[in-house]
Order: sequence, then C-alpha cells, then structure tokens
Amino acid sequence: MDAPLSPVTLPVDDNINPYAFCVDLQGEWFLHKGKMIAYYGQMRFEALTVASVSALVAAHFSSPLYADDWVVATGVGKLVLGDRGFDINSYDLDDGNLTVRAANLLAFETRLELLQSIVPGFLTLLGTGKFLASSNGPVIFAEPPIRVDPEALVGWADCPSPSYHYDGHWMTQNLVGLLRGAIGIVSGEERQFDFTGAGTVLIQSSEKTMADPAALRMMEQQITALSQAEKVHLHRFLGAQLTQ
Amino acid sequence: MARFRKNGSRIVEVDLAGESVKSLAGAMIAYEGEISFKKAGFGGGEGIRGAIKRKATGESLDLMECTGTGTVYFAHDATEIELVPLAGETLQVESSSLLALDSGLKTNVTFTGLRGASAGQGLFTTTVSGNGVVAVLSDGPAISLEVAPQYPLVVDPDAYVASKGQLTQSFVTDVSWRSAIGKGSGEAFSLRFDGSGVVLIQPAER
Repeated sequence: MDAPLSPVTLPVDDNINPYAFCVDLQGEWFLHKGKMIAYYGQMRFEALTVASVSALVAAHFSSPLYADDWVVATGVGKLVLGDRGFDINSYDLDDGNLTVRAANLLAFETRLELLQSIVPGFLTLLGTGKFLASSNGPVIFAEPPIRVDPEALVGWADCPSPSYHYDGHWMTQNLVGLLRGAIGIVSGEERQFDFTGAGTVLIQSSEKTMADPAALRMMEQQITALSQAEKVHLHRFLGAQLTQ
Repeated sequence: MARFRKNGSRIVEVDLAGESVKSLAGAMIAYEGEISFKKAGFGGGEGIRGAIKRKATGESLDLMECTGTGTVYFAHDATEIELVPLAGETLQVESSSLLALDSGLKTNVTFTGLRGASAGQGLFTTTVSGNGVVAVLSDGPAISLEVAPQYPLVVDPDAYVASKGQLTQSFVTDVSWRSAIGKGSGEAFSLRFDGSGVVLIQPAER
C-alpha cells in the first residue's frame, strides 16, 4: 500500500493516477453529478436551479438540456473526481474553444462558458480556464484533415464542426454493397465524421461510448416538430428496428 | 507468516512455508508446490455463531483455506489489488472487496450504521483484525487517503473500499449533497470520516 495521501500531499489540479483527478477547489467549479468520489474541506454541491448560483448559471451555463446533470461545487478544499474507472485528462483553454462529448465532460472552471453544440450530444466550452474530460482508454490528438468514427470521437478544438462523410463509393459502386445496403447489412463504418480546417481532434482508443441520457431527450424534442404521417413512419421504423 | 507480493497490479502471489492463507473461494488461479485447498468451514472459520451472523446480515464471505509449502497465485475478474498490512489494527472492508488474508487474522461482522443500501453494502461490514496482510480488491487502482482530526474526509459510498484506524463514520445527508447525485441512481448521502486513520477509495463508482 502506498503512503496515504492527505490534503497537503494530494496533487494540486493534477491526476492522482490515470483514473482519478484532484481539484484544488478555491471558489466554484461546475461538476457533473456523481463524479465526486471524495473530498477534504468545506464544500457545498448545489443544483443549477438553486437561487444562490442562478447568476453564475445564467452567465456561464447555457444548456438547459443538461442542467439536470450538473451541480456547482462551492467551497475550499481538495476534491477528488473519478468516472467509472475511465481515463481522466485535464485540458487548459487559453481564449479558445473546444467541443466535447457531453457524457465525457466531468467538470470545468466557472471562468469558462458552456454552450450546447449543434452536433447532438456535444457541448462547447469557450474562454480561458481548465476543464476535465474522461475517455475510454487514453486520448490521442490528431490534426485535420481526418475522418473519425463517431463512436471514437471525444471532441475537437478550433476547427469547424464536422460534416458527415458517407462511404458512398463502397455502397453504390459495388453490387454486393448495394444489396447489403438495401437489406440493412452494414459494416458500421459507412458513416464517419469529416474534419477540415486547422485545429485538433481528440480521439479515444475505444468505440464504446458512455450513455448520454440527454441524447434521447434531444430526439424527443425534435419529434414534436414532425407531422402525423411522419410520426407513423417513425413508429413503423422503430417497430422494425426492435424486431430485428 | 505468509508472504504477500503483487505480480503486476491484478495478481497477488503468496509464499507459504507450512502456513496457511485464507482467500475468496475460487480466487486461486495457479499454484506451485504442495498446497491443499479446503473450504474454510462455516462463515470463513468464524464458527457457527459467525456463520449465522453472516447469514442474517447478508455480509456473506465465502472463504477457502490454502495450506502447504509453495506459492499460490490469486486474482479475481482482473480487478486491481491493493495489499494492506495490519499491525494490530482493524480494517473495515466490504466482504465483496476481500481477496485474501493471512490466516492469523480474525474476521468478524460489525454494525456500521446506515451505509449505501442501493450499492448492496447495507448496515454491516466485515472487520479484519490482528497482524498480517490483507489483499483488497478495487475497481481501478485504489487511492489511500489520510484522515486526521484537522482534516476529516467525505467519501462517496459507491467509491468507498475499506478503512482502518480510529475513525468514526457519519453521514452527510444535507440537501446540498443530494443534488450532487445522479438522477435515479447512486446514493442520497455520503460518508464522513472523523478521527485519525486511512480510507481506501476506488476511482470507479459501483
């Protein structure tokens, strides 16, 4: 057993091991619910709806869809965070922007501003400050132009939002591919995210993503815009998917 | 006394020279030499009273006793292992986190008060006391945190693994803490440790 860590010997805003991170809390941080595993000192965890943090939330957290999943940690002390044994990395933004998968974002300084990305399931951070994100396996950094499997994507910085790339050649120029496409057999690699421009793309070494309850909520919101006939079609489509 | 050493972070090797070691039944993955394995009797060698207490409290402990000369290798579901040496102290540990222990150590069930009911940890915990080494399982590398009178520690019950020393455990159930819990799952309270000792936590919630 290693020598036990105390508030004095715990790292300051750094990893304890690849799977746990210690935040030296002096004031306020936004924190994903349930990621706190231990703390020393005096701290309060308040829902974003609490009046005492409403000004902070209004100025720095503009994503009502995710507001239920987040709290504000207030106080002074050492806060230890963990996320299901996933790798945790800290990132420093310097007057920059970074978009990250919502389920991977653990915590961020209240100096940063959070926005909901137009890409479903992703959140954008703007400004200067530190944030923490988890990944299934270590993160690798790549530069555009690059195409990424949507499941392996953790986030991207500075470059434009990705567009879809479909491997159309494979699906239409090849008779077997055409038939397979028609009857629904797919390799799972037809749909990719295509990144262009200058920036950095963050990729995890696993195609296993973490569940994001907000993704479903977002789809539900979009369904209300559909016509009756479209809803019937969607109903049939879901029925077919479920019986497969 | 049996000698414990880690082989990597997920396997523990125990050298035996005629002594015995208790382990989670079925956790032996290999052995060298002449070793015999037998079920450690009622309630892991705690006698009939111990067995009844375990049955009644749900703090089940299925141990086997390995005796002989040679080396035994233990592992469980490729889970990380932490070796905790005890020198006359008492370790509180969930029975589900116990992998192996010196046969000279005494195990017992004690009431700890309300703990994470939904994490299956219930009201009771296993205590291990005496002189020797305990091999404890943790989901991800365990982190040991010191508790002193001037700095008490608050821990998520889902991340708690074990604790030792002169500690008093209490519950933080204020509304502020409740809001830090995920919706529909997890605990509605956290554990607060006061006194002086060491608390072992894992970087993953159960």
